[in-house]
Amino acid sequence: MTGFKTRADAALADPVLKLAVERTAGTAEAKRALAVEAFPDFERARDRAAAIKDHVITHLGHYLERFEANAIAAGAQVHWARTADEACRIVIGICKAAGARTVARSKSMLGEEIGLPHALAEAGIGRIETDLAEHIIQLADERPSHIIWPAMHKTREQVSALFRAKHRAPHEEESIAAMAESARRELRSRMLGADVGISGANFLIADTGAVCTVTNEGNAELSLVPPRVHVVTAGIEKIVPSMGHAIPLLRLLARSATGAALTQYTTFYTGPKRPGDRDGPEEMHIVLVDNGRTAMREEGLAEMLRCIRCGACMNHCVVFRQIGGHAYGGTYPGPMGAVLTPALDGLERSRDLPHACTLNGKCQEVCPVRIPLPTLLRGWRERSWREGLEPVSARWGVGLWASIARRPRLYRVVAALAAGSLRLLGNRGWIARLPLGGGWTRHRDMPRPEGRTFMAQYRKEKRR
Amino acid sequence: MSARDAILARLKGASSPSLRAEADALLVAPERPAVDAAALEAEFLARLALPSVSATHDAIEDLSALPDAVARYLAAQDEPPALCLPPDPRLAACDWSGFTLHERPASDGAAVLAVARRGIAETGSLIFETGPQAPMLPNFLALHHIVLLPVEAIHPYLEDAPLAGPQPRAHYWITGVSGTTDIEGTYVRGAHGPRFLHVILLRGC
Amino acid sequence: MNESTPSRRVALFVTCLVDLMRPRIGFAAIRALEAAGCEVIVPEGQTCCGQPALNSGDRDHAAALARRTIEALEGYDHIVIPSGSCAGTIRCHYPEILADDAHWLPRAQAVAERTWEIMAFLDEVCGWRPEAARCEGHATYHDSCSGLRELGVKAQPRRLLKAVEGLTLTPLAGEETCCGFGGTFCVKYPAISNAIVAEKAAAIEATGAGLLLAGDLGCLMNMAGKLHRDGSKVRAFHAIELIAGMGDGPAIGEDA
Repeated sequence: MTGFKTRADAALADPVLKLAVERTAGTAEAKRALAVEAFPDFERARDRAAAIKDHVITHLGHYLERFEANAIAAGAQVHWARTADEACRIVIGICKAAGARTVARSKSMLGEEIGLPHALAEAGIGRIETDLAEHIIQLADERPSHIIWPAMHKTREQVSALFRAKHRAPHEEESIAAMAESARRELRSRMLGADVGISGANFLIADTGAVCTVTNEGNAELSLVPPRVHVVTAGIEKIVPSMGHAIPLLRLLARSATGAALTQYTTFYTGPKRPGDRDGPEEMHIVLVDNGRTAMREEGLAEMLRCIRCGACMNHCVVFRQIGGHAYGGTYPGPMGAVLTPALDGLERSRDLPHACTLNGKCQEVCPVRIPLPTLLRGWRERSWREGLEPVSARWGVGLWASIARRPRLYRVVAALAAGSLRLLGNRGWIARLPLGGGWTRHRDMPRPEGRTFMAQYRKEKRR
Repeated sequence: MSARDAILARLKGASSPSLRAEADALLVAPERPAVDAAALEAEFLARLALPSVSATHDAIEDLSALPDAVARYLAAQDEPPALCLPPDPRLAACDWSGFTLHERPASDGAAVLAVARRGIAETGSLIFETGPQAPMLPNFLALHHIVLLPVEAIHPYLEDAPLAGPQPRAHYWITGVSGTTDIEGTYVRGAHGPRFLHVILLRGC
Repeated sequence: MNESTPSRRVALFVTCLVDLMRPRIGFAAIRALEAAGCEVIVPEGQTCCGQPALNSGDRDHAAALARRTIEALEGYDHIVIPSGSCAGTIRCHYPEILADDAHWLPRAQAVAERTWEIMAFLDEVCGWRPEAARCEGHATYHDSCSGLRELGVKAQPRRLLKAVEGLTLTPLAGEETCCGFGGTFCVKYPAISNAIVAEKAAAIEATGAGLLLAGDLGCLMNMAGKLHRDGSKVRAFHAIELIAGMGDGPAIGEDA
């Protein structure tokens, strides 16, 4: 696997990627701003949303047991998975027991997190991605680059070329509407013939045992109602006490993601088909997945478990907007991904991510559940420092500088020397090339210090 | 130890006797967009017309006028008078002569009629539950989703949507036509589900 | 200011960057504070607030520098800083860094409570407006992130700049968007930082303003350095320079 910097550099060199990211994220940012403006109590609504999630995270064991009991009472089967592998094994086992040849999947980031697409392929089970963006990703054989818009990195021109190459009856007219229509034609018959429908969950409702999914396309319902078996994979943090508690979160989810007041389709599934029902699956399985979440709760990352996966943090992130999602290298990109990936994939493999942030605080400002993302990122930096994962040059540099800064008199001497020598490097006020400072001067000039340091000038003035 | 026990063992916290009260307190006086309770119908219709919802509407005074209203809509859409009808006795009581009726809609093209239990003014949402008289799939398969909604079933807020007591297999909220913004964030309608949503308000009883 | 009013004893923390690169900002701060009726002291023991260590994850050194800085800044009515990010470090992060230290936490809190970004201080605490400041020019203003989001510095600089005679302000598109400086970020990830500041520079140029103003020297050096590399004629100042009536001096990167 290449490193973050290599991937980021490649992303920066790709003007099409930049264009694609800007078109979607820019639109999302503008629409969210309008939605917030139209909801005067938005800030207090965020407080409530954070409080609801915190309550659940504190009493997670209690609510999970309640959910389990109620889901079982409604006829669903509940499974528990400690790890991604365990979760995949359970899902594959259910699919095999159902004799499944193809599954219809409704977009789920947890499914991506546990590597379900790969596990299905290994088991020889056909997979039909029904979310339009996931369909694009599947055709292109790529990974999602955003949690709400998995195909954000693709321009309409690229999607058009892909559909023309892969669809049986591709669009004739060159428009986004025609492309969506082409995907509808392509997917409609195939998804209705699937043996198993697999979804994630936006919420798990403890007091009814219901699983809630939200989509704008209606693909979840079309994927989950016709097959004989419905499998849900859900992170354990998705639980809420009741449907009433999901409502304040639903109000913020769509507004923060797309700027709509609500997603078009919000469905609560409680168990399998009932006697007399005209449709619905005969079996419903719910796989509750830990995969590092209990550890996050124990290790100072409980606030991250508030996340409702709206994507606002990445849409508003200056770094994400430049490099897109793939450069982050994990399942989850952007600020929330930079917090989650070290927890999921290990800090050694992802120590760049918490640093690839200017700590400007915009993500926290837009987060509907007030996750202190900059603080959590700083926390990872501290852990990386403590565990000796930071490069020697950084440790040495910060250490040397700090030991000077602790000694004011020495500091004055060093500052005066620095001011003097930096002045020598400059020409007419500017330094175009700075030894050891190539990171700065490769792209911009460095103003030359004005002259003597403030402290030196101030002392002289005071003596006069 | 089973995965279940291992996960729950790490989540054992002090169980609070006041848990229920704490959870209930989180729901007191929720923040929500203002809805004029005195003008619920107008508020609901205003939300239906939003670009993100993109639904049209009509109104009838009497259930017997429903077939005419449906025929009117289909004719205006240049669609044949063909309709998928759920086995709902309220609908069966209407005179559907002149219509081609079927239980399952053809994969694309046909229209479906459904009865919503509630309408929510805050968002323009239509609330449905599954049951022997109310299949779910047709409402997602058809190109035109026509929904009958009694005016008195319009409530102000999403908090009015949930059904108390035992839950049906599926409880679902439809807030507009199927749409997607997956290509460049541009909104297009009719991604997978219905491209058209038409609400017929029933004003009489 | 009324003679009988006891003046405020204000400690000026100039910041390491101002000390080294642009002392004029420190002198402008003194001038504005004195004009607002404050007695200004520049404590000897000050060096750097420790933000580079804090943001690098080096908590031990960050705490050591925090203690050092607290010691230097204790005992004044207010501590005023011409930087939102350094003021944010002291006000928001010192109590966090020293949260487990029973001896130092109250001292950190006492200093934090008294710490202000200079323009917020002049506006909110002193209720002061520049009286004799003149600067003929057309400016645009960038909101530096820490000042904006940690301290709520937004309207204060604009209110003060409005009182500068001859100055017109044009809003900057994306004025609340980070410039890509991010302290050590800009040298750790220079290519990403450059892509961000390139967009900022283009937005600044698009205003047609001849002056770029902000409240943090780090961000200003980043933006001015990019503008200069691109051949732009835009001149950059810390807003306090104009507010103190020192807008006629050399801009960032201009020799005196």
